Amino acid sequence: MVELFRNIINIISAVAIPLMFFTFLGWGFVKKVKVYEVFVEGAKDGFQVAVKIIPFLVAMLVAIGIFRASGAMDVLIALLSPVSSLIGMPPETVPLAILRPLSGSGSLGLMTELMKVHGPDSYIGVLASTMYGSSETTFYVLAVYFGAVGIKNTRHALPAGIIADIFGMLGALFICRIFFGI
Amino acid sequence: MLNYVWISLIVIGILVGVGKDINDEVRNTYRNGVSMEATVQVSKTPTALHQTWEGEIVIPEDAFNQFYGIESASSEIRLPVVMTTASSGRTSLVILIDESSPVFWKEMAKKSGSKDRLSGVVHSIKFSEDKSSAQISFLLEKVNYVKARAITKAALDYADTAVTISLGLIGVMALWLGVMKVAEEAGLLRVLTKALTPFTSRLFPDVPSDHPAVGAMIMNIAANMLGLNNAATPLGLKAMEELNKLNPKLGTATNAMCTFLVINTAGLTLIPATAIAIRVAQGSADPGVIIGTSIFGAGCATVAGLVSVKILQRLPRYKKDLLIDTPPTEVKNG
Repeated sequence: MVELFRNIINIISAVAIPLMFFTFLGWGFVKKVKVYEVFVEGAKDGFQVAVKIIPFLVAMLVAIGIFRASGAMDVLIALLSPVSSLIGMPPETVPLAILRPLSGSGSLGLMTELMKVHGPDSYIGVLASTMYGSSETTFYVLAVYFGAVGIKNTRHALPAGIIADIFGMLGALFICRIFFGI
Repeated sequence: MLNYVWISLIVIGILVGVGKDINDEVRNTYRNGVSMEATVQVSKTPTALHQTWEGEIVIPEDAFNQFYGIESASSEIRLPVVMTTASSGRTSLVILIDESSPVFWKEMAKKSGSKDRLSGVVHSIKFSEDKSSAQISFLLEKVNYVKARAITKAALDYADTAVTISLGLIGVMALWLGVMKVAEEAGLLRVLTKALTPFTSRLFPDVPSDHPAVGAMIMNIAANMLGLNNAATPLGLKAMEELNKLNPKLGTATNAMCTFLVINTAGLTLIPATAIAIRVAQGSADPGVIIGTSIFGAGCATVAGLVSVKILQRLPRYKKDLLIDTPPTEVKNG
């Protein structure tokens, strides 16, 4: 069942983009849109959007980089460890839970490390990969998406995003304990 | 909120880093300026061409632990070493650090900048009679202000990374913006949008249901679901641009933008492709086992995010940001 689902999704993922190009551009042609001209017209904004993101992403990544490099991250993890043992989260996975919303490449490295040490099919290995798959890099998404349209006052987006992250991690822990827990 | 989080990351980071450096300096954690004793078992003696001794440095674990005031070394330390006598008569040494080296030295090597070696100066060498071994006393290079240096390096490196990431988006961004423009002109987005109106009008009540923003948001969510990261970001940015056209106060996020952002940060996907790829690489017997659990986890995140975004937007402190009481700040609209 899972296998079938996976196969179906894999096929859809593989053909999705060519299919979208085909329908969108083909439909446009049928509807007598000057496809080439309109495409180029739209595409010329690509550079601007990318460049506009730079200051926002620099601000965000530098702050996170300083926080990690200084060892403040380790202090935060040490402070949160007692809480994690209260809810039954293995102490090894606490750093991953904290790093997940902050750094995509950092949490990817941590997840790989946990699987290498404990084995991908161990409880910790499954939990780590589930935690990784249960959320996005909130701070990165925030910087890029708001950066592209010059939003400086992000209002309640960050608190809501962090609440979502916490529930994502708790959900991952809950489901893994039920199905793979010791 | 972002202002506070941002300044906290930087200030707390720097304070913790400087605190650690001061602590290291006061306790002299790395024993800067203190000579260490060791035995060298010589395997190569100097020739006419090279004034170098090669061999193995041997330090009993007890002596090592006592020297640094630690307990982490558990077996005798044996590492390759090269000693070179310069014409001035000064002898320097390089200890090669590998995987089996004591953790403390590995850390020191990393912090001094060259991952695989520790270098220093030899004060005295006493050879045994057959010249096969020697008692040496040496001083390793100073290790200090480790965290301050690390912070500097991280700040510069990450600024660079940010530019690399942003500029890396140009190509895909242009591609998708072009395709989307064609779809828009052809009226395709309107067809797509109509079908999902009952769903989107509830999530984004402030956005007219036939607005191009809705089409772009649907496309973005669909791409995320399928794990098409290359397509999802450009489509998401396109959606943000469309949403910004409805924004009465440029520079401030609207309710619809926050809702859309939370859906994206929760990262609901039918196939967590990256995590599965790593599981395959690590030799998992069942890499796909996390599909169900990840959907559940990200589902929790999405529901919690949507509920909290809808509650938070009613709070007076976030509501008042939307009032246009002061002239809107100068932000160029894309």
